[in-house]
Amino acid sequence: MFNKTIFKQTLASNWKLWGIFTAIMAILSAMVIAVYDPKIIQNMMNMLEDIPGIADMIGDRMDTMSLLAMLGQSFYSMQGVILALIFIIMTANTLVASQVDRGSMAYLLSTPIKRTKVVRTQALYLISSVFAMFLAVTIVGLFTVQIAHHGLWGTNYTKDIKAAAAILNLDDAAVEDDLTLILSNEDALKAGADARYIAEDVYRVYLNQKLTSRAYDAAAAVLGVDGDTVRADLTLIRNNAAALDGAAKVFGLDSAVYATMLDQSIAQNSLSDEQSKEMQSKFLAGISAAAEILNVDAADLATDMGQIKANPKALTAAADSAALIPATAFPQGTPATVITEQNEAAFLGIINGQLANDEISLDNGIDFNVKDYLMLNLGIFLLMFAIGGISFLFSCVFNLSKNSLALGAGIPIAFFIFQIMSQVGTSLEGFKYLSLNTLFDPNSITGGGTFWPQFAVLAALGVTLYAVGIKVFKEKDLPL
Amino acid sequence: MPVLQIKNLTKDYGFGRGVFDVTFDVNEGEVFGFLGPNGAGKTTTIRHIMGFSRPQLGSTMLNGMDSWKNHHIIQRTVGYLPGEIALPESLTGTQFIRMMAQLREMPDMSYAEMLTKKFELVPSGDLKRMSLGMKRKLAIVTAFMHDPPILLLDEPTSGLDPMMQGIFIDFINEEKERGKTILLSSHIFSEVDATCDRIAIIKDGCLVSTFVANDLRHNESKTFEIEFATKEDFERFREQREYFQKISIISVKQHRNQLKVLVDDANINDLITLLADYKLLFFSEIKFTLQDYFMKFYDHNTTASAAMEVGTADVVS
Repeated sequence: MFNKTIFKQTLASNWKLWGIFTAIMAILSAMVIAVYDPKIIQNMMNMLEDIPGIADMIGDRMDTMSLLAMLGQSFYSMQGVILALIFIIMTANTLVASQVDRGSMAYLLSTPIKRTKVVRTQALYLISSVFAMFLAVTIVGLFTVQIAHHGLWGTNYTKDIKAAAAILNLDDAAVEDDLTLILSNEDALKAGADARYIAEDVYRVYLNQKLTSRAYDAAAAVLGVDGDTVRADLTLIRNNAAALDGAAKVFGLDSAVYATMLDQSIAQNSLSDEQSKEMQSKFLAGISAAAEILNVDAADLATDMGQIKANPKALTAAADSAALIPATAFPQGTPATVITEQNEAAFLGIINGQLANDEISLDNGIDFNVKDYLMLNLGIFLLMFAIGGISFLFSCVFNLSKNSLALGAGIPIAFFIFQIMSQVGTSLEGFKYLSLNTLFDPNSITGGGTFWPQFAVLAALGVTLYAVGIKVFKEKDLPL
Repeated sequence: MPVLQIKNLTKDYGFGRGVFDVTFDVNEGEVFGFLGPNGAGKTTTIRHIMGFSRPQLGSTMLNGMDSWKNHHIIQRTVGYLPGEIALPESLTGTQFIRMMAQLREMPDMSYAEMLTKKFELVPSGDLKRMSLGMKRKLAIVTAFMHDPPILLLDEPTSGLDPMMQGIFIDFINEEKERGKTILLSSHIFSEVDATCDRIAIIKDGCLVSTFVANDLRHNESKTFEIEFATKEDFERFREQREYFQKISIISVKQHRNQLKVLVDDANINDLITLLADYKLLFFSEIKFTLQDYFMKFYDHNTTASAAMEVGTADVVS
């Protein structure tokens, strides 16, 4: 099938190029992983949101900027693709066309080795070098994730857990398992909030949100359904005593007490669309009022609501104009100061909820799904397998390097450019149908879309192209 | 059965280039010269014998096997020295020899080492930095190292210094003694003349003549150039020769009293008897060479002759 001596010789004359490209790619991907900071990304996304037009473009990607999603949109869409492309173009041409052009192929063919065996060995080198390249990138990437963000193997605890555990003189794991331990200890709460650089009240909301989420999961486990089902219909828990018990246990509360909490949540969830819209517009009115006091842009303020908390005048203004609790809801004759006070508390509650939400999405950002990461790498390998097939085919077809390069490099580069163009705007979207690169879509891997059919097409295309290349080389006249 | 059979081999590359209906055989133990200028079709023919190209018409057979279909089998019995040396980069000469030995599954390297010594090859250097002469030597060692019974040599001495050319021609004659079948393509008359049993001349892709080399060497008539001491003798001889039907004057240089005569081997005595009466300044035989014969086919084609003269100049320098 293959010839060991030829493979060794090909390896000896090509490994340097491979080494250089692999090193550059591994370092690039490691850098992208290492510098990933969910907080920075979040700020960046918020900034982009403010620029008219951009927000429409990024649209639904807003929430998905996890480490993997970012890798998918940077390294696996740009640098990784273009570098591998250049490596493949150069190597495919060297393996066949250039050797025929220079005439050195004559030596391999003046030995008792079949032509097909010679060219199959060259194809094997191209395929296995690309495979080894992404294998190296994957391994370096995994190590970088572990070193820079932990949690890949072994359990990782967020900074606040560690700080709180130190105060409580407990194991990290024990604290992680029971967050109420922090809630019930003032010092631990302060340490945890400091570790996250957030205010204690926000941290308290954050912990409660986490507990709520865990309670739902615990109930879901009792009910034998998944968490999303329970979140969609909380009455499932309310109507099942065992589920209620399970959820209450997470809070360390009595079932009855938890049931009251749950009832509130159910009531909140059952707000009609109109009602929640109304709440939203009230809230925005508050933000605008606060922005006026603080003399900043309302949009900027929306992304940094901590400012409102820091300025009592702004908070009062915001609470008054928002009037989340309408004056009519208070008994006749309630002093205005009391109404303002109540409204301030409600407004603060929403702000704290938002800030706590931000913290949770930061936690999720670092969540690293190894399976998805492997899929990204498998995907880019398959894309390069198919593109390698194109370059290799033309390397087999043409006797002159320049012709082999014209098509073997031209077509893959055109594919790459079409792919970029199709992403620039909707008017050019049609270009995606002209590009093979569209079949590898990192977003559909990290965002839970379908990708196996595309992978199968890439694999089948690659196999076909290599097979045709080998066949052409076997049958053609060589000017040696 | 001939070891090498070329039957009606045709390959048209367009623009009048290629080979057209080429047919010849090379028998076992024979050295066959393939003579023609650059671009006449020598390399194209060898390319087909090696199985690199598929004939449009006709066939090339080695030991009765079609060389296109069995290209990998015939390589076991063939040593090939390409006309243009293109060695793989990034190897040293030693690595290259070792690689070729592995590809040919050669267990014994003693013959290769003997050749390395014989041609004063220093294979340790990088192929990229080797001089042209050293690359040629490396190619020669590679072509001969598995001691194949059939040798296809495409312009083997180009790029070698005159001393090495001599060693190489001796080596070819030794190989011939050992019973090797050799096809030697060349545009250098001296090396073809010195080694070949039979010679074919190729012109614009067609064989124009195939002949036994010894026939040319032992021609049955000779040409002599004569210069007479005086004008009178010169004129007298020109009248006299009317009596001798056996001698023919083929060219005359009036102002120098010189002329060339062609005479059959059997009648040389008559010529000498006749000349005894004259006072001569010189009398010398003009040898009929392969070059003269070759030029007959290329007389009309000045560019081809020019190419050949460059070839011969090569040998002299």
